[in-house]
Amino acid sequence: MRLVTAIALLVALVGCAPVPSTTPDMSVGSAVPPRPADVVELTTPPSTAPNQAPACDATASLRPTAALPAPGAMPAGSPMEKIAARGRLIAGVDQNTYLMGFRNPSSGQIEGFDVDMARQVAKAILGDPTKIQFKVLTSDQRIPALEQGEVDIVVRTMTINCERAQKVDFSTVYYQAGQRVLAPRGAGVTGIDALGGKKVCATKGSSSLNNVANAPSKPIAVAVPNWTDCLVMLQQGQVDAISTDDTILAGLAAQDPYTEMVGEKFTQEPYGMAVPKGNEDFVRFVNAMLEQIRGDGTWASIHQAWLGRLGEAPTPPPARYRD
Amino acid sequence: MTAVATRHGPNRLTGLVRSTPGRLSLIALLLVVTSVTVGGLTGLSVQSRSGALEELATRSEPLSFAAQEVYRAMADADATAASAFLSGGVESAALRGRYEGDIAKAAAALSIATGEITRNPELTGALSTLSGQLPVYTGLVETARTHNRQGNPVGAAYLREASGLMRAQLLPAAQEVYRAETVNVVRDQDRAGSWPWSEILLGLLGLAALGLAQRYLTLRTNRLFNVGLVVASGVTLVSLLWVVVASLLVVSDVSDSRTDGTAQADVLARARIATLTARGDETLTLVARGSGQSYEKRYAEVSGQLTGLLAEGQRLATTPGVRAAVDSAVGNNQAWQEAHRAIREADDKGDFTAAVSVALGADPAGAAAAFDKLDSDLVDAITQARKTSTTSVAAARGTLTGSVVVVVLLGLLAASASVAGVWQRLKEYR
Repeated sequence: MRLVTAIALLVALVGCAPVPSTTPDMSVGSAVPPRPADVVELTTPPSTAPNQAPACDATASLRPTAALPAPGAMPAGSPMEKIAARGRLIAGVDQNTYLMGFRNPSSGQIEGFDVDMARQVAKAILGDPTKIQFKVLTSDQRIPALEQGEVDIVVRTMTINCERAQKVDFSTVYYQAGQRVLAPRGAGVTGIDALGGKKVCATKGSSSLNNVANAPSKPIAVAVPNWTDCLVMLQQGQVDAISTDDTILAGLAAQDPYTEMVGEKFTQEPYGMAVPKGNEDFVRFVNAMLEQIRGDGTWASIHQAWLGRLGEAPTPPPARYRD
Repeated sequence: MTAVATRHGPNRLTGLVRSTPGRLSLIALLLVVTSVTVGGLTGLSVQSRSGALEELATRSEPLSFAAQEVYRAMADADATAASAFLSGGVESAALRGRYEGDIAKAAAALSIATGEITRNPELTGALSTLSGQLPVYTGLVETARTHNRQGNPVGAAYLREASGLMRAQLLPAAQEVYRAETVNVVRDQDRAGSWPWSEILLGLLGLAALGLAQRYLTLRTNRLFNVGLVVASGVTLVSLLWVVVASLLVVSDVSDSRTDGTAQADVLARARIATLTARGDETLTLVARGSGQSYEKRYAEVSGQLTGLLAEGQRLATTPGVRAAVDSAVGNNQAWQEAHRAIREADDKGDFTAAVSVALGADPAGAAAAFDKLDSDLVDAITQARKTSTTSVAAARGTLTGSVVVVVLLGLLAASASVAGVWQRLKEYR
């Protein structure tokens, strides 16, 4: 018995440190929800706030000088003549905003209200609405693309404001939108005022992002590259609401019956076609084209085709000119 | 009691060593210890070499292939999903089948790689990213597909999110696993293919001990040879030669498996991954529709790497089969680059439809056909290189079969022969 005790003591002395079994660590497999690429949560409002630009009458554009020239007979030396010589108009549009500018998944073609408006420009210059090359731009690529001459014109839910008017030239207003809020049905969100401290999604470089970041209720602005990325984040529960122009929100709501537009329009968003700075004759030409489609019912039929579901009267916004 | 032992012990010992029979007994004992130790240690060396070969054949090489397959299958799934999206409408059954096959292969290869998590604990993070995020990826692709079927443009956003997840998390994790497993292959090859210095040294030590014993006996007994010791020396020499020849054969086989196999397979595997990445970038450039400069830039980068890797593959190719496959791959790569130029030309000119049809169409001069041919050339070359490598390793393993047993038995035989030899002399002192 004593021997057994001695041996037990010896074993206890010799075998010092316990030898643990190597179980792999299973705690690392935590759920990390996927996010769209390039998502930024804004802690401070974007530096280029619209109120930094001096006040101006941005929606007043240049008056058309004469009647619209016939397609193929562009004034010599004008930007339109260069486009006619190239044989196609290069237009910056969107492919992610349902109803305004989107890629039809079944045909692979880009369609929408803005796209049809751009086709009207191609038709006026070249006589054929299909002689157009689309360059897809995100919100923050619009002004650089114009400045670097990558596109002739941008027709992409672009709000006319004084800050942008310093960098590009705008046509007259071709659509009057206003910013609202899209939230999940039954979430109790009533408008932008109810979103204090909540996450609200908008695209980078859009005026909507500025409006969200500067809203008095202080929501947390989340910036993504495309509007559909906002819908992805809303559906995945990563943001509480999306806030932008009612036209864009209508397109998002049409893709998800569990969302609804709430609250009143809290901003006015006049859309204009943008061309590179200093192309006065091109602006006047586009304005003449807009005058024509406002009057002959083309504007109304394009509006009916895409935005009829908004339930508003198909009346084009009146043109305002500064000279 | 203790005092007596300390006084008499040394005297007895020195007495024993000074007497000739005592010395002879001591020599016999030393020879037994030396022979058994030499046999045992040599056996251990051979065993370690054989263990490294087994590790190479059954674990590190298959695992490195599994890791490469995980990467390849996932990169292909991503490129295929983008193609299906670009083709418009409901994706074709062929593209869907390819995507599903890729996911199945990735999951199967991943389960093999994950099985080794206890052996490579540093890969825990990468492997759990892979097994955790792959289902998330497929979920996003299916969501994109459902929206696509309903005509909702948000489908494209889900596809972008899926692709972002693939490129930001899954592919880097797969690359990490592949790198770690490749390091293991090289390590096992180094261990299995090392020069047999310790075996040679041990054998020479045994021979030297026997030679010294022989010299002592010759001086003591005036007999030129002791039969037992001669036999023991012969046996030790045979054992040494056996081990050296077998080891050198293994070294040569492992070197073959490296130059004719894994070195080529690694370069070709990287070429294949570059092919898939370039194809994904080519497709995504078109999906981005005019704002895909970053994808096009990366295509140019990866395509340059691909050309370099194929040239390296040509340089490394040692067998006619691999050389033919790589030569054909080089030709198809050129055809693809021409097709790519045609795509960019059409797209930059504004003819998007023509660009898509060159990229995806069934035209034999199009990018899709060239890409498919290039990919199958690389598969062919990789399969052949891998086969050469596994054949060489199998030959090496065959060479070492039974060597441990033979070495140990020869060691015991040398010990017995030495004892018998010394015993002959010892008997004369009775």
